Amino acid sequence: MLFNSIDFAVFLPVVFLLYWFATGHNLKVQNALIVVASYFFYGWWDWRFLSLILFSTVVDYTAALIIHKENNPLKRKLLLFISLAVNLGFLGFFKYYQFFIDNFIAVFKMFGHRFEAGSLSIILPVGISFYTFQTLSYTIDVYRRKLEPTRDFISFSAFVSFFPQLVAGPIERATNLLPQFYSKRSFDFTKAVDGMRQILWGLFKKMVIADNCAGFASDIFNNSYDANGSTLLFGAVFFAFQIYGDFSGYSDIAIGTSRLFGFELMRNFNFPYFSRDIAEFWRRWHISLSTWFRDYLYIPLGGSRGNKFSQIRNTMIIFIVSGFWHGANWTFIAWGALNALYFLPSLLSGKNRSNLDTVASGRTLPNLKELLAMLSTFALTVLAWIFFRASDLTHAFDYLSGIFSSTLFSSPDITEKTQAIATAVFILFLIIMEWRGRETQYALANFQSTHSRWQRHVFYYVIILLIFWYGGKEQEFIYFQF
Amino acid sequence: MKPFLRKIILFTLPFVVLAWPVDILLSNILRKSNAYPGELEVMNAIYEKKAACQLAVYGSSRAWVQIDPDILEDSLQLTAYNFGMDGHNFWLQYFRHSELVKYNGRPEVIVLSVDVFSLEKRKDLYKPEQFLPWMLWNDDIRKFTCSYKGFNTADYYIPLIRYAGRTGALNDCIKTVFKGNSKTPYRHNGFAAFDREWNDDLAKAMKSASHYTVRLDSSSIALMKRFILECSQNKTELIFICTPQYAAGQEYISNRTEVMNLFRDMALENNIPFLDYSADELCNHQELFYNSNHLNRKGSAIFSSKLAHDLKAVLAE
Repeated sequence: MLFNSIDFAVFLPVVFLLYWFATGHNLKVQNALIVVASYFFYGWWDWRFLSLILFSTVVDYTAALIIHKENNPLKRKLLLFISLAVNLGFLGFFKYYQFFIDNFIAVFKMFGHRFEAGSLSIILPVGISFYTFQTLSYTIDVYRRKLEPTRDFISFSAFVSFFPQLVAGPIERATNLLPQFYSKRSFDFTKAVDGMRQILWGLFKKMVIADNCAGFASDIFNNSYDANGSTLLFGAVFFAFQIYGDFSGYSDIAIGTSRLFGFELMRNFNFPYFSRDIAEFWRRWHISLSTWFRDYLYIPLGGSRGNKFSQIRNTMIIFIVSGFWHGANWTFIAWGALNALYFLPSLLSGKNRSNLDTVASGRTLPNLKELLAMLSTFALTVLAWIFFRASDLTHAFDYLSGIFSSTLFSSPDITEKTQAIATAVFILFLIIMEWRGRETQYALANFQSTHSRWQRHVFYYVIILLIFWYGGKEQEFIYFQF
Repeated sequence: MKPFLRKIILFTLPFVVLAWPVDILLSNILRKSNAYPGELEVMNAIYEKKAACQLAVYGSSRAWVQIDPDILEDSLQLTAYNFGMDGHNFWLQYFRHSELVKYNGRPEVIVLSVDVFSLEKRKDLYKPEQFLPWMLWNDDIRKFTCSYKGFNTADYYIPLIRYAGRTGALNDCIKTVFKGNSKTPYRHNGFAAFDREWNDDLAKAMKSASHYTVRLDSSSIALMKRFILECSQNKTELIFICTPQYAAGQEYISNRTEVMNLFRDMALENNIPFLDYSADELCNHQELFYNSNHLNRKGSAIFSSKLAHDLKAVLAE
């Protein structure tokens, strides 16, 4: 079920009313309702894959309990290995099987051997990368004795399948989300209103920004061989805003929806396009995944400790694995590697943590240095997104060489110019709103205190009108495919 | 909780109250638009009972840009109207036929333009905006369009929902309000000819793929058989025609012979006259086409005269 669909517009109020009125505020009943609603939400897309979620839930629930009881380090390690193997095995099969087979065949062919392998039509279950990482973090935390395993299977099931963040995150840690299922929840008017506001802003980002940018980005990327340099550049910029609007919009809706049910999810985006360097960008983009890799991969590898070689190695590993997490294609690996190359100079010079504050904090506008830093960081990310969006590496390199050709300074050849101008105006509006709210949780977070009731309502109606007028028709979220 | 629900209800109340009147307003404005290209005019003519005719031409764009009903009318002494539907195969052509019969009565003669794409059903609903002004609670539109990717169930029953995200249609409404209706209709009796020169559609298609294979849709085949039976039961004279297609374009379709044989067999089985112009001399003259499937103004005038002449002979039999 998509957040931007009529189905969800019916589903959400029904679950909300049942949750607060039909459960008698009984915690167990509320949690059970969340499980049922979440399975229904997921099953709406494809009920067959519910068995995968259930299986992962059972395996991790049981493995964590046994790991906790067990004192023998070898047995504990073995149990952890089993849990990892099951979860990563599913992920590997559904997401990476065909990629490895294809590359295996290609390598054999390179050495003059012919190798035949049957091709399986494997459907990628929506959100498998997200809930797999969420359950993995639980088992690893229990193994590390950072977390007591739960005996409450319903709460654990609700934690794994919690519908607002089930299919595209934020990838929650058990230490943050699981305890929220144990404690009594009471309805908080302010939080609920704020949640609704965040949902509205998320829908605007998804339906007005992302879906409109998507049309242009797809058109230009799909016909890139005929396009001039300036058109290709526009295509890449449109894609940069598409993916931001799409994914951060989803996260806003997920966080806002959770607040309606009394839950606080972790922040997933922190105005990444206002970053002054790549290190700051990665502290602000897809935070739940970046911190996951930091805690469960980068630090165990040694992190930034050790000599230069191990620092470079660890950085390359984490970025490449992060790229590969997004999809079974060399383009994602290249995207990860390119970001690692962007990141390494600041790491090696010890400047990777020089921009920990918010840009132009307490000021209305940035200074020239900050502006140039933000623009150059944005330009680097735009170039990297080309690898993310391209169909293969050849396409990506051709696209890049197309941009850096003499036609870069010719006028862009964009069809539907009026629509393109309207989309550019919406992007500008997004940038202004996000800039104004950059020191808060999301762009409209302090709206309640800074604007009168009438101003707020007029603003909300304008946003709704924009969504009605310009919103794309139920387009899937990009991150569903990951 | 109660203050929250009250707030939500009060906030959404204007939408609930205004949805129906705004829907009616938008639909009325959109009906007056001559966009999509002239499809709304044809539907208006049908629903306003102004499309009654003795000879009806059915088909896709290969009907509405190539067959001039005025020429047929002059030659055959029968009132004629072209109901050709842009971008759609027989599935939706039949929907238009059923609406015509319901609101304007049955024509005496139906000239059905068949081609290789007639029985291939596309997945997406081409130019869905043409249905917007009439589709709320119109069960016929729902029946014929719900199998395409285009509308949700809610679009057929809840006012205004179907207009959400239809930027083009909403902009057309604004244009119509501010600029008024176009004084010149897009089509005349459902027909429009174009002074266009040969474009690179075929070259582009050949560049992207060496050939195209038509995938026949069984539900469209069944519907066509039903339509043939319906015509026979109602004593409607049905005539199949295959309009000229540029020779190189014919070669691009890998299973053209197989598809055309299907129509030939249907015609033979049901005693339907079949005027096939696939091998006509016109097919070799690129200057009469603007792409491999469509004749330009000059080509359509020549072809319409030729067709009128041949139809006269068929109808005289």
